[in-house]
Amino acid sequence: MMALEHLTRLTLSHNKLTEIPQDIVLLVNLEKLNLFNNHIETLPSNLCDFTKLKTLNLAINRLKALPRGFGAFPVLEVLDLTYNNLNESSLPGNFFCLETLRALYLGDNDFTTFPAEVGKLQNLQVLCLRDNDLIRLPKEIGGIQRLRELHIQGNRLSILPPELGQLDLCGTKQLFKAENNPWVTMIEDQMKIGPSHVFEYIRTNTYKFLYERYTEAEPEPALRKTERAKRFGKK
Amino acid sequence: MLQPLDKSTASPLFQRRLLHHNEIEKLNINDSRPNSISSNMSLLQNGVCARCGEGFKMKDQIVNSHDQTWHPECFVCAQCFQSFPGGIFYEFEGRKYCEHDFHVLFAPCCQKCGEFIIGRVIKALNNSWHPDCFRCQLCNGPLADTGFMKNAGRALCRECHAHEKARGLGKYVCHKCHAIIEEGHIKFKEEAYHPYHFNCKTCGSELTADAREKNGELYCLRCFDKMGIPICGACRRPIEERVVNALGKYWHVEHFVCAKCEKPFLGTRYYEKKNLAYCENHYHQLFGNICFVCNNIVAGDVFTAFNKAWCVNHFACSVCDRKMSQKTKFFEFDMKPVCKSCYEKFPGELKRRLKKNYDAQSKK
Ligand SMILES: [Zn+2]
Ligand SMILES: [Zn+2]
Ligand SMILES: [Zn+2]
Ligand SMILES: [Zn+2]
Ligand SMILES: [Zn+2]
Ligand SMILES: [Zn+2]
Ligand SMILES: [Zn+2]
Ligand SMILES: [Zn+2]
Repeated sequence: MMALEHLTRLTLSHNKLTEIPQDIVLLVNLEKLNLFNNHIETLPSNLCDFTKLKTLNLAINRLKALPRGFGAFPVLEVLDLTYNNLNESSLPGNFFCLETLRALYLGDNDFTTFPAEVGKLQNLQVLCLRDNDLIRLPKEIGGIQRLRELHIQGNRLSILPPELGQLDLCGTKQLFKAENNPWVTMIEDQMKIGPSHVFEYIRTNTYKFLYERYTEAEPEPALRKTERAKRFGKK
Repeated sequence: MLQPLDKSTASPLFQRRLLHHNEIEKLNINDSRPNSISSNMSLLQNGVCARCGEGFKMKDQIVNSHDQTWHPECFVCAQCFQSFPGGIFYEFEGRKYCEHDFHVLFAPCCQKCGEFIIGRVIKALNNSWHPDCFRCQLCNGPLADTGFMKNAGRALCRECHAHEKARGLGKYVCHKCHAIIEEGHIKFKEEAYHPYHFNCKTCGSELTADAREKNGELYCLRCFDKMGIPICGACRRPIEERVVNALGKYWHVEHFVCAKCEKPFLGTRYYEKKNLAYCENHYHQLFGNICFVCNNIVAGDVFTAFNKAWCVNHFACSVCDRKMSQKTKFFEFDMKPVCKSCYEKFPGELKRRLKKNYDAQSKK
């Protein structure tokens, strides 16, 4: 390992690694670490000692939690945690200190709610929460001014916070994916015409009023889809 | 206030010199040139030398000037005891001096150039000047014939004095009459004036301080408002100062701002997009192609896919980092490119789900 001190990229994808060796942090110059598609269940707590790491890919692993202090990476820009077993209680207290993040991938996990602290990630351009169990979104997402990609398809969402209307996700360099959710009819109707109509609609005072009425009534969230259960069966 | 410069204020010395000059003229013509020094019988018998009191002998040359007579050796400069070159002398307090010594002893020096002053002397501010050297200390205009104004120990022309005084009072000086404008000036072609020197171009009424300039003409406020002045595209108020004409609208200089950061351009370059103006920084941030890998503006050729952009040499499989070209077959996963070999190693359950979604999408 010592001899590889100058290494800036390390790709260990498609191996059957069950853990990361502790002394990987001796690769002090590492900027990109790719552990895509392994069998990793836990991470060493000193992983955040990579002071130059910009891209960390841990997608398709078996993570149930992130270690304490994980949010201390000073320059991390892209974090991919797709297809793990993470939920809102898996995130360490300092997770949203990752203020340099510009892309956060959490698709195919088990979140039912998402922390309001996400609003602290002011550099975030891409937020992927595809195929989780989300029953609602924090309104703070609407305050992430740079956001240009939001993936929320395949959840249990029925309604969008009106604050999301502050986002501009309808241009050719933006993306809004929201299909496969049990949307209330008034949103579903707009979805059919196109995302720009959804955003126009949730900016209206009519919608703000309906949204308040709806959340006060606290309706039962939609049930989990059978398809998702299948994924758990596979693991 | 204005101090005229004529004979009555000229110094006593100046007057004296004028007098002597006249005498010398006369002297030159009549008596004192060497060839006019003569022997005269009556003087020989009765006259005495005005300097030494002795009589004259036969053959003695006698100098005769102004009804006085001298031995030639006695008709000399009181300072250097030499005869007067060219017969020209100057008299002061009963003594005669050659031109050189008179200048050295009594003639004034110019305060500006330091040379002796022959001819007209300007006495002012306890100093002497050649008329041509006596000029306004601000604009250098001649003062000898116009008079001057004393301002903080300086000699200034009327105009400069008025400006200086107005400046001290925080007021303007009228560019036409040069008087201080006590209240309510108007600006016309960058200069300040009393408004009453002008009339409105349209209605002819005498102007007041609220008059306005447009295309080099002055108008009263009423007529000006009727002419359709530009309205700022931001604040919707009339623009009376500098007008910025951009995006097919008029703007106050300070209201023409970047649509993103709202900082005024103040003449710096702006970029237009969808009839909005942006500063360079925000234009690139919003509309430039930013590479998804290196997060920089793509300088050269750009590769675009999935609503994203890449530097051509940064476009690679998001799983294994293998470089891909336009021709490489790749799959989409969360709007990122994945090479065929990586995609095939995905969990079967995931692949089936992705395929199902893909089919559902393409059916629409
Ligand atoms: Zn002399
Ligand atoms: Zn002089
Ligand atoms: Zn002057
Ligand atoms: Zn005037
Ligand atoms: Zn304005
Ligand atoms: Zn700007
Ligand atoms: Zn790049
Ligand atoms: Zn690959």
